[in-house]
Amino acid sequence: MALFRQNRTHSAPMEESRNHDAWQNWFQLYGPKLLLCARQWTRTLADAEDVVQDAFVRFWRHQRELPGDPMALLVTSVRRAAFDRARRDQRRTAREERAFGGEDTVASVFEPSLDGDDRREAIEAALLRLPAEQREVLVLKIWGELTFEEIALQLDLPPNTAASRYRYALAALRKQLIAADCHG
Amino acid sequence: MDEELAQLEAELKRLRPAAPSRELLARLERELACSENAGSVSAAVVRRRSRAWWLAAAALPIAAAITLLVTFRARHELPVTPPVTATLTVSEPALFKPVAAENVLYSARDEGLVTLDDGTPARRERLRYVDTITWKNPQTNASVRWTVPREEVRVVPVRFQ
Repeated sequence: MALFRQNRTHSAPMEESRNHDAWQNWFQLYGPKLLLCARQWTRTLADAEDVVQDAFVRFWRHQRELPGDPMALLVTSVRRAAFDRARRDQRRTAREERAFGGEDTVASVFEPSLDGDDRREAIEAALLRLPAEQREVLVLKIWGELTFEEIALQLDLPPNTAASRYRYALAALRKQLIAADCHG
Repeated sequence: MDEELAQLEAELKRLRPAAPSRELLARLERELACSENAGSVSAAVVRRRSRAWWLAAAALPIAAAITLLVTFRARHELPVTPPVTATLTVSEPALFKPVAAENVLYSARDEGLVTLDDGTPARRERLRYVDTITWKNPQTNASVRWTVPREEVRVVPVRFQ
């Protein structure tokens, strides 16, 4: 199986994790990124955590020994789990919907930053205002650390479209942040 | 990309996504511990797989590997030109990358309410998936696809209000 080996910038910690089965180490490194990706495709933070749980357990049990970049596999798995969940949710009764929580929890998507919380909050607010198709490309590129080719495969887009959505997203973000600065 | 966008990109990269909740970590701990102690039943999610599918799961990668080897040999053996020194770059490992992974849910059946060992009412769902993972070697365009059927039985505790 040496044929399948490949070198990725973030595969080394993965190999270490695989060796001693420390899922906690792996999850500490990549869990927050996966959760952020999951939040692009789910309505609530609780849903996003459920989706990450499903995808991660599946990965750890059945896919962690597979060769290749696990982040791309996991992002696909998270996205698929999010869509499956959305389909199942449509069949839920209103009572169950209330019991499990229907409103999104207002929780920051980023850790407090050194640049100050005002700036982080402004960026979060600007991200939320981006069109969903631009935001998901931006999140997958910046925090999912996927290439445009990988994003294109995830979203079933041409790579050029993924790249241009990324540029539009950055430009829109910059515009919104400048406007926010002007208005204090 | 202009300088300002590059600066913004760098600033975004410095932001660290928020950590998952302790509750999620505890759930993962329980579920993964549950899978290690085979036979113990998780209260939240129970997954079963038929033996036949395990056999299929074991057989398919072997078949895929054989297909791959045959494909490689065929690719490299076809141009049988005069006995020039054949320079196959076998020393360099092939770079197979996973290019697609799909988990297609094709059947979901609600099997109604059941009662767990501790008396908790729960709803049992039977979900059927087909998992497909594709690897591709961009240098040779050789690809391997692995498709496995999978069945999940989920027991989700129900809360009445």
